[in-house]
Parts: sequence; C-alpha cells; structure tokens
Amino acid sequence: MWPWLKYLYKENPQQLPSVLERYLETFNTHPVMASFCFGALAKQEEKIAKDRSSDHVQKNLLRWVDTRRSLSITTASIGDRLFWGSLKPLTLLLALFICLFLHINFFEPDLAQTEPSAYIWVALLSAWLVFNSVALFVKWIGISLGYRCEENVCFGLICFDWNKTIYYAKKIGILLALLMLFLGAYFFFKATGPLPNYHAMARGTLMVFFILCSWMAHKLRVANLYIYLIAVLMFGLVSLF
Amino acid sequence: MTSPTLLLLCLFATVLELDTTYAFQLTFSRGIIAGPLLSLLTGDLIAGLQVGIFTELLFSDINPLGGVLPPSAVGCCAVTLALNFLGTPLPVAFFLGVLAAFAFAYAERSVRKIRCRWIGNWEKKIMEQPRLINRTVFLSLLTSFASTFLLFSLFIIAGTALCKWLLPHLPEQSLLAFKLAFMAVPWIGITTLLYSFRLKTK
Repeated sequence: MWPWLKYLYKENPQQLPSVLERYLETFNTHPVMASFCFGALAKQEEKIAKDRSSDHVQKNLLRWVDTRRSLSITTASIGDRLFWGSLKPLTLLLALFICLFLHINFFEPDLAQTEPSAYIWVALLSAWLVFNSVALFVKWIGISLGYRCEENVCFGLICFDWNKTIYYAKKIGILLALLMLFLGAYFFFKATGPLPNYHAMARGTLMVFFILCSWMAHKLRVANLYIYLIAVLMFGLVSLF
Repeated sequence: MTSPTLLLLCLFATVLELDTTYAFQLTFSRGIIAGPLLSLLTGDLIAGLQVGIFTELLFSDINPLGGVLPPSAVGCCAVTLALNFLGTPLPVAFFLGVLAAFAFAYAERSVRKIRCRWIGNWEKKIMEQPRLINRTVFLSLLTSFASTFLLFSLFIIAGTALCKWLLPHLPEQSLLAFKLAFMAVPWIGITTLLYSFRLKTK
C-alpha cells in the first residue's frame, strides 16, 4: 500500500505517520485473496484522504477498520479453501498425471531416468503455470474489483461464485485422486508380472495397509507425516530382529 | 567440487524458501517445484523430481492456516538432495530431510519470536521517518535470508556428520526398512489428497 499512500498524501506528508500506524497493525489473510482487501482499503483510504471534515474523517476511519477486519476474515476463508485446499493439490495431481503418462513412474522407489529431462520440466511447468495463472488473475481482478465495487456487493467478492467453484474443484479432485490410486495399482501390477508373485503380494498388502492407516489417521486428525515416521520406526524395529 | 556445490545449494534453497512468505510468493517453494530446481545443482534431476513429489505429497495436509507454520518443503528437498549428493541412499536422506523440515519450522518459529521483539523498534523508526520503510523492508529480507541460510547450512552439516557416523553401523536390513517406508509415501500422500478433497459442506 506504500506507493498508494505516498501518492494520496503527497501534499500532506506530515499525516503519513498516523496513516502508517493503521497499516502496521497485524493483518492476517490469504496472500492471493488479500488483493480484494488492498483494492477496498485503497478506495477507503482515498475517501479518508480527500474528505477532511472532522465528522466524515471519524466515520470513514470506522468504515476502514470494519472493512479491513471483515474482508480479511472472508477472503482468508475463501483463499484457504480454494488455493490451499483445492488448487494446490489439483495442480500437484496434474503434474503427477503428466509424469505417469510420460512414463515416469514415481510410485517405484528406484526411479531411473529413462525419459528425456524435458518431460520432467513439462510436468512441473504445467503445475506451476496453472496455479500461478489463476493466482495472478485473482490478484489482478481482486485489486480492480475491490477498488471499484461498493460494500453492498462485498467489494466485488460476490462477482464470483466461490462456493460453487470450490465445490466443483473438490469434486474433480476426488475423481482425479481416485484415478491416481487406480493408476498406481495398475502400474504396480504391470511391473510385478504374472501372479502369484509372493514378493509383490507382500508389497501390495503393505501399500493397502498404509492407505488404510492414512485414512484412519485423518479421521483421528493426525497429519500423514507421522504415518511415514511411524513406518520408518516400525520397519526399522522389525529389521533389527 | 563438493563444497561449492553445497554452498550454491544452500544459497539457492534460501532464495526459494523466501518465496514461501517473505518475497515473490510464486510457489517456487512448493516441493514439486523446489526439488527439481535444486537438483539442477546436484545433477540428479530424477532424484529431485522424486523428492519433490514425495515432499509435497507428505506435507499436503499441513497448510499455513492462521498461526500454523508447516514444515519447510524447500528444507526437506535441500537436505535430502545434499545428503544424496554426498552418497547417502535416497530413502535415508529423505528421512533426515523430513526431520530437518520439522526442525526448520521449529527454528523459524523461534526466529519470528525474536524478530517480534525488534518490530516495535522498527515501527517506531518508520513512524518518525516514513521514508525508511523501503530500507526496513530490505533489511528485514536480508535478516530472513541470513537466518534461513544459516539454518540450512547447519542442517546439511549436521546431516552429513550424522550420515558419516551412522551409515557404516547400519545393517543392510535397516536400509531396506527406510526403503519400504519411502515406498509407502506416494500411497499415503494420495490417500491424504483424497481425504482433503472431501466435501464437508456444499
């Protein structure tokens, strides 16, 4: 906000310290969706800077505080569900699918490079570009809508149906994650050859066990990182005997 | 050849780590991006890809919501790739990388607490002279860069020393144990994604 504040108060720079004080308070929201807050606060600040009559200053300041508080909570809620909860895992799955279709089977622990490096970069670049295209678009449109729209339309937030977008993104995510599990199983059986292969069956049973453990861990609100650490500990202990 | 590569790895990892919060925020710090990027220095792109994918899958259910500080994906990739570059088997290096990611998050929390004490002073200076704001932001970035670089270097040195001491004593079966757990990561991760996509409310 600093360049904007400097521009607004270029004729009254002595007011900048008191203005800055408001902006130095703790502000916690989602980094992408924060653009809506920036746009709306820029508009509010413009009103405060232009309308200097004492009655209006007080009223505008209160509105600025309200806008900041309410918007930061709303945008954080949308941003966390849309970007961290949906788009980030979706773009990860996109990269994983591209890897598999380009014959990079990341399910195998002894992964060897048989395909050209360009294939790997295609997968990564796709994930990176898709996430950032959406994020930069929302950042850009957020500042613009936040500045132009009024409070009655939530500073442009209701121009998009966020809940519907999150709903469909999550539905697609479930389908893709299920498909990825099946593809993993398909590549596993393809690599192990004809059954009965007892080594492969033991490995397969372990994988099913870990899938169930991971599911159970989430039900118990335990992060899956701990499942991995427990697995290392468990196998380590077994290996000692 | 080893020391310059590791130094460059630490520097590059620090730049990528800054992307998490302090600068850019263009998701270069995601495991899947950071892993292959860092492996450009160690020369094993496929290891970078695998570590990147596994890190992101493993950390996929810990998001930076509210005051939560997730384990550092860049830290995990950097430590894993550095140890692997020095000859540690990838599954063992990955385990130490995960521990380093945890330790980094803990250390970062402490660094932030220390910096909180300075913030009041910085704010005071800015209020007196608003022009100092750019210099303060730059200095703040510089201190973050320095502390992150120091932590990454420390973890890599500690990891290397630990591996040097531990690996000759590890029985063959233990290496297999690390490998089996490593093999389970994508399955655990994808199940987590399935769970995190679950619709609680329409």
